Parts: sequence; C-alpha cells; structure tokens
Amino acid sequence: MFEENTGSPAAGAGSEQRREQSGASTAESSAGTSGVQSNEAVAREPENHGGEVPSAARAVAVALAGWLLPGLGHALLKMWGRALAIFLTVGFLVYLGAGMRGNVFEPGGEDAFARLGYMADAGTGSFYFVARAMEVSGSDVSHAVGDYGTRFLATAGVLNLLAALHAYEAARGRKA
Amino acid sequence: MVPLHFSHFQSLLLFALIISLAFGTLGRRKPIERVKYAAWSFAMFVLVGIALGWLMYPFSK
Repeated sequence: MFEENTGSPAAGAGSEQRREQSGASTAESSAGTSGVQSNEAVAREPENHGGEVPSAARAVAVALAGWLLPGLGHALLKMWGRALAIFLTVGFLVYLGAGMRGNVFEPGGEDAFARLGYMADAGTGSFYFVARAMEVSGSDVSHAVGDYGTRFLATAGVLNLLAALHAYEAARGRKA
Repeated sequence: MVPLHFSHFQSLLLFALIISLAFGTLGRRKPIERVKYAAWSFAMFVLVGIALGWLMYPFSK
C-alpha cells in the first residue's frame, strides 16, 4: 500500500502533480542545451511518495495515523527522517511541557480558552495521554515555568497537526 | 517525574531550537537547505523574542 518513493514521473500522483510535471517537461524542452535550466526543472519536480495513484482515503488514513502517533504518517510513506524528527520533536515538547507542569486541558472546558487548549493538546494524539500520565502532581501555572509548559504542550499538538497535514499532502503527491 | 525548572531565556532557547528543527525538517527537502532554514528560524525566534521582550519592558513597571 505504502510503497517506496520512486520519484518516477510515470508513477502517477494526481492531476496536480501531472500538471507540474508537464510544466517541468516544457521548461526542460525550452531550456534546450542549457544544463542549468533543465536541472532546475528537474529539481522542481514533485516527488511521488505513494508510488501509485494517490487516493483520498489512503491520504486520510496516513494523516490519521500521523495524528494518532506522531511521525507514523511519514513512516508509512517511508519518509524515515521526517518521521523520526516529528516523533522526537513532539515527544520532547510533551516531555518538557509535562515536566514544567504545564496545563493539560481536559475535554468539556468551561470557557473558549480551555476548549481551544484542549483541541491543541489533543493534537498530540496518543501523546496526550502520556502527558496526562506524566503529570502525576497536576499542573502548576502559578509560576512562569508552568505557563511555558502549557505553551509547549499546545505547540506539540499544533505541530503534530501540521505534520499530519504535511503527510496528507505528501500522500496525495502534492508536496514532499 | 521531577519538575523541570527553566528561566525565561532558557525556555525561549529550548522552544526556538525544537521548533526550528521541526520547521527545517518539514519545510525543506535537501539537508543543507534544512540546516539553513532551521538556523534562520532559530535566529529569528530568538531575536524577535528578545525584541518583543524589550518592547514590553516599559509596560512592566
């Protein structure tokens, strides 16, 4: 299902990619003997990280996997470096946020701030429960450190959502 | 777990470093471009953070 990125234009990756590829081919042909321009055209070619015709359902599954476990979406696309970076980044932010006794918001908050905070925290997927488990003594936002911890946790969630969106786009063959 | 204690500046540096690495990894494809982008993001995070801190300084009194 999730094959290695072949980088082959013939692999097919949706109409948008085909449009870009045809644009790149045009640029290449018009470049004639100019090696620099043709190299640039090749460099602009988007990669196909599916190796097959991308389907919306598969891309959604990749995004969901990336949300549930940070980095899993990219791992399914065999983008190992990015998968590891996302896992470590989100994990480290959650560790720091919980260690700084930041506020891990719970569902059903009383005000908009608490609800938004929960949405951001829930963006970490399964790491949300890790943060809850790590904060055995509860949050302490009476000090600046605790407040920073709250921001670290929220940033981890938003960053993971951004990574999941990136995995979705890569699965659709739109960008890499 | 043992509570972690950081100063404002240490928190700023940590935040800038982690987010810059993530931005560099996600935002660019070639390794050298990733390093450049991460370094640029880190510098901007720190510089803008310090600048905003000084801008708010008069209101802290």
